[in-house]
Amino acid sequence: MIARLYRPFMMSLVPLGLIACTSSQPTSVEPSATVPLGIDLGGSGPVIATAQSQTPAEATPVAGQLRGHGGEMQMAHAGQNDAHGTGTVNSVDPTQHKINLSHQPIPEIGWPAMTMEFPVAPSIDLKAIKPGTRVNFTIEQGQGGMYEIRAIAPAGGGR
Amino acid sequence: MSASRIFWLAALLVLVVTAAAAQTPAPKLAPSLGLEPGAMPPVMDQGIYAHAIFSQLEGRWNGSNTEFRWEGQGWVGTDYDKLWIKSEGTLSNGTVDDGQQQFLYDRAITTYFDLQGGLRSDIDSRPTRNWAAFGIQGLAPYFFDLEVTGFASGEGHLAAKLEASYHVLLTQRLILQPQIELNLYSKADPARLVGAGFSDIDTGLRLRYEFSRKFAPYIGLVYQGKFGQTAIFARQAGERTGDFRFAFGVRVWF
Amino acid sequence: MKLSAPLLTRRRFMQRLAGTSALSFVPWPMRTVLAAPVRTPVLSGTEFQLEIEPVPMNVTGRPMTATGINGQTPAPILRWREGDTVTLVVSNRLSEPTSIHWHGVRTPSPMDGVPGLSFRGIPPGETFVYRFPVHQSGTYWYHSHSGFQEQTGVYGPIVIEPKGGYTQAFDRDYVVMLSDWTDESPETVVSNLKFQSDYYNYGQRTLGNFIDDAQSKGLSETVADRLKWGKMRMSPTDILDVSGATYTYLINGQPPRANWTALFRPGERVRLRFINGSSMSIFDVRIDGLPMTVIQADGNDIMPVTADEFRISVAETYDVIVQPTADRAYTIFAQSEDRTGYARGTLAPRPGMAAATPPMDPRPMRTMTDMGMGGMEHGEMPGMELSSEGKRLEGKVGVDNVAMMPTERLNRAGEAFPAGRRVLTYADLRATRPGGDPRPPSREMTLHLTGNMERFLWGFDGKKFSEAAPIVLQRGERVRFVLINDSMMEHPIHLHGLWSELENGHGEYRPYKHTINVKPSERLSYLVTADEPGRWAYHCHLLYHMETGMFREVRVV
Repeated sequence: MIARLYRPFMMSLVPLGLIACTSSQPTSVEPSATVPLGIDLGGSGPVIATAQSQTPAEATPVAGQLRGHGGEMQMAHAGQNDAHGTGTVNSVDPTQHKINLSHQPIPEIGWPAMTMEFPVAPSIDLKAIKPGTRVNFTIEQGQGGMYEIRAIAPAGGGR
Repeated sequence: MSASRIFWLAALLVLVVTAAAAQTPAPKLAPSLGLEPGAMPPVMDQGIYAHAIFSQLEGRWNGSNTEFRWEGQGWVGTDYDKLWIKSEGTLSNGTVDDGQQQFLYDRAITTYFDLQGGLRSDIDSRPTRNWAAFGIQGLAPYFFDLEVTGFASGEGHLAAKLEASYHVLLTQRLILQPQIELNLYSKADPARLVGAGFSDIDTGLRLRYEFSRKFAPYIGLVYQGKFGQTAIFARQAGERTGDFRFAFGVRVWF
Repeated sequence: MKLSAPLLTRRRFMQRLAGTSALSFVPWPMRTVLAAPVRTPVLSGTEFQLEIEPVPMNVTGRPMTATGINGQTPAPILRWREGDTVTLVVSNRLSEPTSIHWHGVRTPSPMDGVPGLSFRGIPPGETFVYRFPVHQSGTYWYHSHSGFQEQTGVYGPIVIEPKGGYTQAFDRDYVVMLSDWTDESPETVVSNLKFQSDYYNYGQRTLGNFIDDAQSKGLSETVADRLKWGKMRMSPTDILDVSGATYTYLINGQPPRANWTALFRPGERVRLRFINGSSMSIFDVRIDGLPMTVIQADGNDIMPVTADEFRISVAETYDVIVQPTADRAYTIFAQSEDRTGYARGTLAPRPGMAAATPPMDPRPMRTMTDMGMGGMEHGEMPGMELSSEGKRLEGKVGVDNVAMMPTERLNRAGEAFPAGRRVLTYADLRATRPGGDPRPPSREMTLHLTGNMERFLWGFDGKKFSEAAPIVLQRGERVRFVLINDSMMEHPIHLHGLWSELENGHGEYRPYKHTINVKPSERLSYLVTADEPGRWAYHCHLLYHMETGMFREVRVV
């Protein structure tokens, strides 16, 4: 009986070999239509003379200036990246010039409802914005790829 | 041919190998890694792996008739300890000849060599024989794959088997492999057509193409020769003593 | 999940309510509804929510499932500021335990993220809150320290802004994270290597090479060379264990044909933060047409060095500044050390541009120096004897070679770089400030990097992690680690938690590194101040070497 099976067994090795040959090659793929772009984290801002600390010792209290976002660099204000949203201010950070808010979905850029922090354009006065306020705002993608609040105003009406 | 004596002898050899293993400077598990209870260790370097390979799975044709030959081995275990199984045999005209199966415990003892001990059973169409097995397997200098095993049967028959192979890369995927297997026996065993002394040689030159590492069909030339008393037995049984055959098969592992 | 609340000012309380750490007050099913994690490719601030989860991946054309964070691999860029205290809420959405280690970032030991040493790991479905102060700046990265998740995609960049400001001006800033991807499962890769250690090496010497060598060098010399290597049972073509035969090399997660592009305006200074986040691949990086000024290594400032090319080993980082002045595209070219593939990106003024991709350099070969037998003709060493440690190691199951003559060659990046190219070496790294601890070491510790290529197991001093005791350092002591690489492959050795000050001839201006690439049969040393207590991982950062035994605990008591 084994002798009878032996010939078909040897025959079956041929297609097995062909299958093994073809299945080991990955298929090629069409190149994507758009090129993936790197995220620019921004410029260095004004440089300082002293080198960074490398040592593990406790850091001395931060007295130096904060690095501005973009600093003296020109802002690439194309004006095409605006998006508008509505949300509620959770907290305001005047030192870092940021606010944290929970906003509704922003379909213009495909964002769902989220709670997140935004840097705020330097010209905007944060003292006028109180936590808990419902606001309308405009955001634009800045130089680092980060969205920044360009305009913000209290929204009328209740929830 | 007392089966119980054979198994006692095999067990003794396994113990010998284990004792030899204990002598080798093989590092033991560090007593306390001090891990938190229930924590996983940061790396799992005691993994158990299993593999099996058919180095010969071929038809052998000499112009008039075809035989089918297999030779393979497999193991499961860790870097140091494995359970090893080896099997070979030839199927022709509905009978299985030259069947040898080994069931071994394998222990890594040096950089390139393992010590093996256990049981060999000659299971085929002829009367079954059982032997205790003891030997080494590994990579010899100049990249020769080597297996040298000694056997002892219950009746005081001794045997030895030497298997060596080498591979030459013609290209990255086209590989030429000469291979040789020799068997020796201390006493004749007419029922199995085996004579005393240097008994038979099975050697071949195989050219394989590796579609992938794990699947490589090949063609080759093999020679099976019988010598001395074994040749006499063969002629009496109407078999050829020297046989050149054309081989075609597949080398596969997983 | 522990949330400590030292000083609950009103501002922090409001932030907590709004931010992700408020989750602790909310029952579990509601948390996912309340605060979906911010899913952007760059996360800034001091509170972060990271979810480790399966992520679809298609690099070769075959859809696969990788593991990533917040829906992406590489994971989002984390932007921290030196001086801040960061809180990272890490949730495990995989079906196996996970962890995150902040590579190069000095944290208290329980925050270091190594299961079994720092903490128990993060079981599936659970969340762990990391919280630590950041006392350093520069480019670092983070990755899983569980299983093979680093290979399947759990890795991402960390950019820490210096608190005073930058010392080098630049106009643009891009992270360039190099990695390797295979469609095979990492368990299969290791299993393949256990059975056939040259499984992925399709660059072996063939009969054709023999004939070529015989024609150019003569038959007897070729035969002698083959015999020399054959006697050692080694192949000079062993460069990397896992090659382009299965790997696709990625730049920021993109294969070469995707053409990842970083934009610039001609004349601008562009900072490129190169991170090698791969599992098993050493890259040689260059940008044809643009010399690179290397300003940081492993996150620390070095005196700027201009180079045409640098070799970046697994887990290392190099920050460079380039200043392209022409209105054209440049190719960022990172070829794997064994020349079986490359990662490629483009620096261009506009998207869609690409420069020519250079051909790969010829494949290097190991030399007798790499075997620790430099300078001798036939491997015979009259009068040379192995050291006593070497004799102890020779022939053991875990050791396939002991370097007879390990050499100090920090002034070479490696072999077979074409002439005429300035290649960065470890000897070029000079810190900008003297080190913080001026004491000489009070003791010296020698470790041999060993392995058995044929069996694919690796270790230190011939022993795997499970066979060895921890290395114990006293708190505050200053130790010299001497590493002797007895194998013929590079090993990037990484010590968690403490800086490794590489002794490269610059005296007190020696560079502070977290990962040191030791070349075959090289001997080098570095100083460590054991100033942070805890149980620190110490291992080769080639993932499959680490997982098969090349790992140790360094315990600072």
